[in-house]
Amino acid sequence: MLKIQSISKHFGGVKALNELDLEVEEGEIYGVIGPNGSGKSTLVNVICGIFLPTEGDVIFEGQILSENPTHQRLKKGIARTFQNIRLFPNLTVWQNLWVARNSVEDIKTESSFYRWFGKSSIVKKEIEKMLEFSNLGNRADELASSLAFGEQRRLELARALATKPRLLLLDEPAAGMNKDEIRDLDGRIRSMQLQGITIILIEHVMELVMGVTDRIAVLNFGSKIAEGNPQEIQNNDAVQEAYLGYSEDD
Amino acid sequence: MEDFLYEAVEIIQTIWDGILFGSTYALIGIGFTLIFGAMGKLNMAYAGAAIAGAYVGLAVSLFFDATIIFVFAVSAVISTLLGYIVYQTCFRFIPTHNHLAALMASVGGLFFIDELIVLATLGSPMNFPGLFEDAYFEIGPFGIRGDLLFVFLIGIVSTLLLLYVLFKTRLGMATRAVAQQDIAAQLCGINIHRTNSITFSIAGLLGGIAGAMTAAAVGVLSPVMTVPLTIKGLIVTVIGGLGSIPGAIIAGLFVGAFENFFLYIRGIDERDMYVVALLFIFLIFRPNGIFSKTINRD
Repeated sequence: MLKIQSISKHFGGVKALNELDLEVEEGEIYGVIGPNGSGKSTLVNVICGIFLPTEGDVIFEGQILSENPTHQRLKKGIARTFQNIRLFPNLTVWQNLWVARNSVEDIKTESSFYRWFGKSSIVKKEIEKMLEFSNLGNRADELASSLAFGEQRRLELARALATKPRLLLLDEPAAGMNKDEIRDLDGRIRSMQLQGITIILIEHVMELVMGVTDRIAVLNFGSKIAEGNPQEIQNNDAVQEAYLGYSEDD
Repeated sequence: MEDFLYEAVEIIQTIWDGILFGSTYALIGIGFTLIFGAMGKLNMAYAGAAIAGAYVGLAVSLFFDATIIFVFAVSAVISTLLGYIVYQTCFRFIPTHNHLAALMASVGGLFFIDELIVLATLGSPMNFPGLFEDAYFEIGPFGIRGDLLFVFLIGIVSTLLLLYVLFKTRLGMATRAVAQQDIAAQLCGINIHRTNSITFSIAGLLGGIAGAMTAAAVGVLSPVMTVPLTIKGLIVTVIGGLGSIPGAIIAGLFVGAFENFFLYIRGIDERDMYVVALLFIFLIFRPNGIFSKTINRD
């Protein structure tokens, strides 16, 4: 479904990604781990088009994306969440979801007039469902900035889902969460997989990554040093070495 | 005692007239603030485009026997186009982090528009038609000038329409989303360049109306109006708080009243000195504007 073909991304002299190759299959949950500064976030930014790669191609469902800006990639089905949450702080929860839902143009049955003012019953119903999925039903009319941290994370996830993605990139979704919240997130990720969404999970929290992913790639200094299922990764010598060098951070 | 009463009535009347005229400043301020909210940048060519729009409106009325509403409509359309053009030429291709470059490009835009006006009109002022110029409503010792009231009402209607679009429609929601978090907006499928050009066009639309309002209230159009209107617009934007629409409205009316008051007690020569002094006072004591807790750019 997604193919990263010898991608390099240089910032000045720093090689954040160095001829990286990855391939993600449709329907799987693909984990990406690695020490801090190993290029994980850069990878996400390159896939969704916030950064253009210095070299190499991003291929999504057979199409080369390198020239497409972020909003076009979103319409092709690539959505993401951010490590440092990026909501629209002065829009309400409902409006945050509405803005995202507006990216989908598949409604032909209702007049565009209704959609223009956010009154389409189809859109309303879908947003209602999103609110329910993220346990935010009773906060719909509150400003996003007034939500608690955990609620903001859930809203951001719901907003990404509202764009009806086929590939969802989660950039450290468990950062700052407690055990209960992580378990909750685990369930959400699995249920999204059941809905047919392919997921790339970038995460430091090993218990989440090892539990939920089908395959994992390990990055170090912008290159892939290992790939395999969680068990293989846990027993991989190169991985342990890379992590031991950075053990305080992780 | 009678002198004092007379004086008091005159001053209240002056301030009232100033508030009515201040609606033009409020609209200009809203335009500046909209663009600042969307991009975090000042569009210095904005008031120039507003006056240029009014000029084209006036030209149309000279060639055709057009009603004043038609003149306003033409001004608005031309300024909308100019807003779009200014975005494409002075902002779109300049890297977003380079604030000075975009600022200077738009200053260039201001002078370019100014020169175009001078070229087209040979620099001489032209009369602009007002509406209800002869109307005058008396309320006790006070009076309301019909042309000013007309300008004020147009200002109110435009502002209400703008607020409706911004807060209730899909387009407005997209604009506000871009202003608040542009990267996330792209990840909601919003094309930032498209939204920004729409923001510039809407601001331009308001500017064209404001330009025609100014000309209708003053009764003339002249190329020397662009720079003072730019400066007053910026003062209103700063006093209202960069990015705050309610702030721009209040500040616009306030600056209108303030300058008319000093026009009355100190005369036309000193008036603008006091307006600029007001700017300094705000920059020192309330640098974030009247509603200074408004930190967000919405």
